Amino acid sequence: MAIAERPISPALARGGGTALVTPSSSLGVFRRPVSTTGWRSWVFTVDHKKLGIMYGVAAFVFFIIGGCEALLIRLQLAAGSNKVLSANAYNQMFTMHATTMVFLFVMPMAAAFANYLLPLQIGARDVAFPRINAFGFWCFLFGGIFLNTAWFLGGASDSGWFAYAPNTSVAFSPSHGVDFWALGLQITGIASLTGAINLIVTVLNMRAPGMSLMKMPIFSWMILVVQFLLLFAIPVITVALFLLTFQRNFGAAFFSVDKGADPLLWQHLFWIFGHPEVYILVLPSFGIVSEVLPVFSRKPLFGYKFVVFSGAAIGFLGWGVWAHHMFASGLGPVSVAVFSVATMAIALPTGVKIVNWTMTLWGGKLRFTTAMMFAIGLIVEFTIGGLSGVTHSVSPSDTQQTDTYYVVAHFHYVLFGGAVFGLFAGFYYWWPKVFGKMLSERLGKWNFWLMVIGMNLTFGPMHILGLQGQPRRMQIWTEFRAGDGFFNGAFWNLVATVGSFILALGIFVFIVNVFLTYRSKELAPGDPWDARSLEWMTASPPKEHNFDSIPTVHALDEFFHRKYAEDETTGELTQVTNYEEIMAEMEAKADKHIHLPSPSYWPIVLAISLPIVAYGIIFNRLLAVFGAAIVMLAMAGWGLEPSVADESDYDPPSDGESTKELATLG
Amino acid sequence: MKRSIQTAAGARSRGRRLLLPGAAVAAVTFLSSCAKDAPQDTFQPKGDNARNIDNLQRTPFYIAGVVFVIVFSVVLFCVIKFRDRGQAIPKQTHGKPALEIALTILPALILVGVGIPTVKTLFMLAKTSDTQCVINVTGQQWWWEYDYPVQDGCGGIKEPIVTSGQIVFPAKTNVLLKITSRDVIHSFWIPSLNGKRDAVPGRVHTLRMEADHPGIYAGQCTEFCGLSHAYMRMEAVALDNASFEQWKTNQLAPYQKPAADSAAAAGETTFLAQCSRCHQVNGVTNANGDPVISRPDQYVYSGAAPNLTNLMTRTDFAGASFDLLTSECKDKLWSAKPADFSALYLQGVTPDCFDAVQLREWLRNAPGKKPMYADPTKLGPTDGKTRGMPNLNLTEDQIDQIISYLTERK
Repeated sequence: MAIAERPISPALARGGGTALVTPSSSLGVFRRPVSTTGWRSWVFTVDHKKLGIMYGVAAFVFFIIGGCEALLIRLQLAAGSNKVLSANAYNQMFTMHATTMVFLFVMPMAAAFANYLLPLQIGARDVAFPRINAFGFWCFLFGGIFLNTAWFLGGASDSGWFAYAPNTSVAFSPSHGVDFWALGLQITGIASLTGAINLIVTVLNMRAPGMSLMKMPIFSWMILVVQFLLLFAIPVITVALFLLTFQRNFGAAFFSVDKGADPLLWQHLFWIFGHPEVYILVLPSFGIVSEVLPVFSRKPLFGYKFVVFSGAAIGFLGWGVWAHHMFASGLGPVSVAVFSVATMAIALPTGVKIVNWTMTLWGGKLRFTTAMMFAIGLIVEFTIGGLSGVTHSVSPSDTQQTDTYYVVAHFHYVLFGGAVFGLFAGFYYWWPKVFGKMLSERLGKWNFWLMVIGMNLTFGPMHILGLQGQPRRMQIWTEFRAGDGFFNGAFWNLVATVGSFILALGIFVFIVNVFLTYRSKELAPGDPWDARSLEWMTASPPKEHNFDSIPTVHALDEFFHRKYAEDETTGELTQVTNYEEIMAEMEAKADKHIHLPSPSYWPIVLAISLPIVAYGIIFNRLLAVFGAAIVMLAMAGWGLEPSVADESDYDPPSDGESTKELATLG
Repeated sequence: MKRSIQTAAGARSRGRRLLLPGAAVAAVTFLSSCAKDAPQDTFQPKGDNARNIDNLQRTPFYIAGVVFVIVFSVVLFCVIKFRDRGQAIPKQTHGKPALEIALTILPALILVGVGIPTVKTLFMLAKTSDTQCVINVTGQQWWWEYDYPVQDGCGGIKEPIVTSGQIVFPAKTNVLLKITSRDVIHSFWIPSLNGKRDAVPGRVHTLRMEADHPGIYAGQCTEFCGLSHAYMRMEAVALDNASFEQWKTNQLAPYQKPAADSAAAAGETTFLAQCSRCHQVNGVTNANGDPVISRPDQYVYSGAAPNLTNLMTRTDFAGASFDLLTSECKDKLWSAKPADFSALYLQGVTPDCFDAVQLREWLRNAPGKKPMYADPTKLGPTDGKTRGMPNLNLTEDQIDQIISYLTERK
């Protein structure tokens, strides 16, 4: 009989064999939150799965907000001098569209997948620091909400997501928008940074017995690389944002040219973060498709080691290319040459991935599920984005292309065709794992094709528009500079706008699909895809403690190799067992005493104090002091709270033979 | 298994046969789907520097096209060929290191092939030793100022010339622009003559410019510079040598005082009362006969406003955003043959080509026509100075007078 010391819902504990014990107090000050149902079970949870779901839901809401901003931008640009948005509103709109999509959708959505799946993929019961994990989520959510409240408090940032100094100074951007932007991103940065430390420690210390790093699922590997990128990149942007906050609110002069500052300082800081950020956005999706393609090709990932090392190589090279965003900034030919060549070099490990995905398909037994279609879509669309990236690396041509729509086309093929397609592949693939129900494949096909057609109509024409000289970040374009002929700039701008609405329709179909699936009573089988990795070797949705017994890993694709025996000479495969039998076996030898961390009030209390401090910095310093007091209180409360409620807090008291090694640290 | 390899190999050679036609079709489709005569087309160089870039950029585009066709064909082949038709689960192969290494080295070689000319072109474009003419370019919200310092270059300049909006220079001459900014970062870009270069406050960046023939070339500020970024344009005007000499003479011609009691004379008075605190007209004097020197530094945050001495020698105004020419005259100018262009441009805005509509709207309410930071109640962060031109609340009579006065500024 397993004893889960974290209160769990009876529903999750089904399958029997799990007794509930309840922690009763936390130092006698507050009772620990113990609800197993209702909103409290979510708000105070430290369970990586619940946090993962909340990350996903919140990020998707921000995705819809960012998408609406994009549609307004496209409406404005449908004709040359439309009046949908004023110049001021347009500038806020493209700033917030980018900020929302990058910081509040793709990054946290990747965090959703990482949070939910990484412990399952490596056979762990939770992450290393569950309370910090909860804290991270609330920082992201409150930071994101804080950022968006700027719309109602005098206007959002109008300086672009790149926020080049000195255009961000108070004289040039007098509303509080930039303050909201800088402070909000410092708060969401805490989520990324704590998450990075948490997941690195989790991967390095908490893998199941037998899972060497080279037997670790590729998604977990890509997440590990991303966490290292975050670990080093987030502090850089935090420093930059911190300087900006002081520049605007406390009279500092880091970017004041008249006081001797060089505005290029900001650009270097921003892009040293900003370029690794691109890989932070796209590598999780690379990990997802590297899981999806093998499952639906029924072959292992071609060149697993090459994919791992190319991911790591991208992680390293990503730090040496930041100045390719600054080819027109006036760095001088020597710097430009170095960064130009380094940028070309990064095409190699990226190309390796495309080769490996394609070769995974080669000779396979392909099943075209929606997840698989998104994964194949990613290969094609990302290749377009990668190749236009190579044309940018030729720095003299980049001085023609940069800040035109050609660049907009490029990074949308990378980020929409790459990152977002990967996330959608992940939605369809892991939905039955997370929610125990299958998304409709029929609606999925509609979803996929509308998105493919929509994205190519939206972003494809931008290649032509940019190369024919339409610059970015302008709310108007003129017929005169759009050129003559039927296929002129006016035509392609209109096509892009129509495309964006088809794309939106595709995403709407997804939402309908989710809604219908939620309403449906049909449960998914435990192993619907004949999957290969450890996260499928448990119930769907998994129990609170993930695995009844921690599996010992013998091979990459452990689950697949348990199900199928391979003839050593012919390589022929025969199924020897199935999901149900493996489940029954794991349940039979369930661990006796599973030590899970207890829920806590402090993560959300600490997280909510940060926007209070930020509002205080903008509007009233007294409010900042009040927020800081809550910070101190929450940190003290957190510090004094045992990570796991004391043995004597439990009712009934535990037998004292708990397997402490599973207790997590904080 | 063996059979499928053979089929795959057959398909591969078939694929190779389809490859070049496929790439050709893709290229033709792409090219035919472009606008004709887009003035900012990056594939229509009109000078040596842009041509160096163009020669360099075509190869990577072709290579990218071919690589895409290959990847797409292989994926498509797999999708058709290897779909689940009930075949046995394939052998669990984990990769072919030789293939992987080969497919890493091959693109590396291609990139070396692209990298070498890239670096070569880069240094070619950074060269400053062959300069024949220097022009200072200064960006500010939301227009460009050009000044021609005293030099032996540009056919000799004895007295500085200041102009804005349209940068005028001799054709077939290596011009070096020295670019900076008075406020935020801007970027100077005339696509048919060269790539872009940022104008960064506190720094001076150089950019080469050369035009094969006389003509007018469109450009636009391409670094986001705030509210009216979209209205910060510029045009480069190349003239033949003789016409450029004439242009210089025109720019430095002595001030022509309007005839007494004319509408223009009334306009001069209004101009001195309303405009000259920011806008300089060289040679204009006040009632006492003292020269009037504008002080935009007291009213405008960037510290500068366009010099209007020779407004009608330019064909547009306010960041090259609004036309002074009627659309027929504008079309005529932009489509003029190189041989005819210089003479036509030197005529400036002639009375029968002058279209007062835009200028009139501008004078009625400048921030209404081009978004600017000029609301007098909200100038705290800029010490009471505007960014851009405020609404002067002129009467229709005053506007008429000023227009009469300005049409004589040639």
